[in-house]
Amino acid sequence: MPAPAIEADNLSKRYGQIQALNGVSFTIPEGEIFGYLGPNGAGKTTTIRILTGITQPTGGTARIFGHDIIAETIESRRHMGIVHETSNVYDDLTAWQNLIFTAELYHVPKAGRDGWAKELLETFDLLGRKDDLAHGFSKGMKRRLTLAMGLMNHPRLLFLDEPTSGLDVQSNLIIRRVIRGLADEGVTVFLTTHNIEEANLTCDRVAIIDHGRIAAVDSPERLKKTIQSVQSVEVGFDRLPDELRNGRCPFPSVNAMRKEGDKVRFFTDDPSVVIPAVIAYADREHLKVLSLTTYGPSLEDVFIRLTGLDAAGKEEGRGLSCS
Amino acid sequence: MQLREKLRQIPLDLMASWAIAKKDMVIYYLRPNIIVSGILFPLFMFLAFAIGSIGGGSSQAPQGASEIAQLGALIPGLLAITVLFSASSIEPVSIPIERRMKTFDRLISAPMSLQALVFGESISGFLYSVGIALIPLAIGIIFFGNVIIAPFALAVALCLASLCFSSMGTLFAAYPTENVGEVMSMLNLVRFPLIFLSGVFIPLSSLPGWGQVIAYFSPLTYTSDLIRFGYGATSHLSPYVDTVALLAFIIAFQAFGNYLYRKFNE
Repeated sequence: MPAPAIEADNLSKRYGQIQALNGVSFTIPEGEIFGYLGPNGAGKTTTIRILTGITQPTGGTARIFGHDIIAETIESRRHMGIVHETSNVYDDLTAWQNLIFTAELYHVPKAGRDGWAKELLETFDLLGRKDDLAHGFSKGMKRRLTLAMGLMNHPRLLFLDEPTSGLDVQSNLIIRRVIRGLADEGVTVFLTTHNIEEANLTCDRVAIIDHGRIAAVDSPERLKKTIQSVQSVEVGFDRLPDELRNGRCPFPSVNAMRKEGDKVRFFTDDPSVVIPAVIAYADREHLKVLSLTTYGPSLEDVFIRLTGLDAAGKEEGRGLSCS
Repeated sequence: MQLREKLRQIPLDLMASWAIAKKDMVIYYLRPNIIVSGILFPLFMFLAFAIGSIGGGSSQAPQGASEIAQLGALIPGLLAITVLFSASSIEPVSIPIERRMKTFDRLISAPMSLQALVFGESISGFLYSVGIALIPLAIGIIFFGNVIIAPFALAVALCLASLCFSSMGTLFAAYPTENVGEVMSMLNLVRFPLIFLSGVFIPLSSLPGWGQVIAYFSPLTYTSDLIRFGYGATSHLSPYVDTVALLAFIIAFQAFGNYLYRKFNE
């Protein structure tokens, strides 16, 4: 049986008085796209620094394709490509020089190296700018070049730290297409992102980390099923009655409600009870129902539920409790 | 790591070190702050000492053969401080910049040992210094009629001193800052006193007792001494002692640099 791409076992990291990671464990089989979600300061970067051998854990172990990251750091790194959060290309080198420098650092054999570099530039739509200094590149172009550099050594495991954050549409599309292509080729991807919808669409499984602990690890769909109570019914009326405008919810089966633009969203465990109640209410109040949509829980809802991150944004909007 | 693995890693590490050195050459050699610190500064130091020693503080300019000879005698000192400043100027500029640009993360996460990273950074300073040292060497020969009596000793002195001071620069650049000025300030706190406490322009015998003791802890003392030997001037110590001392400083700076980079990465 092949060794998993990553085995993290009870990883801990303490910086002085701060416990950055606390008993983090997960296993990622080869070929999986694994999302790693968490609020700022949750321990995502610390985890990546440990898994890439930059920092040593204060407790626990991590293995990359069976190689202990502490005892066999260099061997472990040979299998990795790392795309850091910042587009850390050398501005004073051309796109080509950046790729060749990476190839030299990773001991990519000269035979086939130039062809592969050219193919990567083509994939990332940078071939026409091959001999231009990266200094003149746009943010999206630098990001694409960073990703190309991460693939220069044909990694079996790719760490992607916020790969599409703040990018233009073209760069986003190219990068997403490449990630899907990597999955088809059996490359394992460890993806950290703030874009929960991106994780939902891209990842086979996600882990949610908060305060240095793993709050949940599962497939996006299974995670969503754990919080069925945040299913919702969004209703658009021809006019909004004062009762709803003032946050008084007339439906006992609704857990919470939120006004969203000219619509109202009712959060419930059971939409099938709420829908007839809404229709009856509309009849009683002489309202026309212009639209009615039901929503299942999103991965964002799971994230918020598990991290309790909704203090400022969500809770304020959702703070019209019906119970 | 098994011994066989370690041996297999050595050529790979050397290749990675060379890649880092080449990258530094392309990016940093012509940076204005490196040119000022590595070339112009030693030249102005030389001019200051030259005017001081020939003009004696007056406005009288050197004209006769004896004045030319006096200036020529300052060339070994100029060579020593050129090596000191040029070799130790690359990494204190390049590494904080790379930290700021986050490109340093690429280096510390590449499949190579930390020693290879520290050594690769040092090689760029070493090569820069050896190249720059040729300038005062040529000036001495062409304009002041300097004669090199022991060229091998001089070559050894230039090579070891260049590697020693580039390792020193790499060591100071381990300080975890993204600000070039911070590293340079700390480095200058060490580099400037070394000029006066290492027998470069002021003979060791003219230093007070405490100064002579400190001089033995300065790699510039052994550099200056070995360079003087190369020019056939009276050297204070045996060239073998100078060579061994410089080698010891190189090993110490590389080892301590490794330790600090590892520590500060945490």
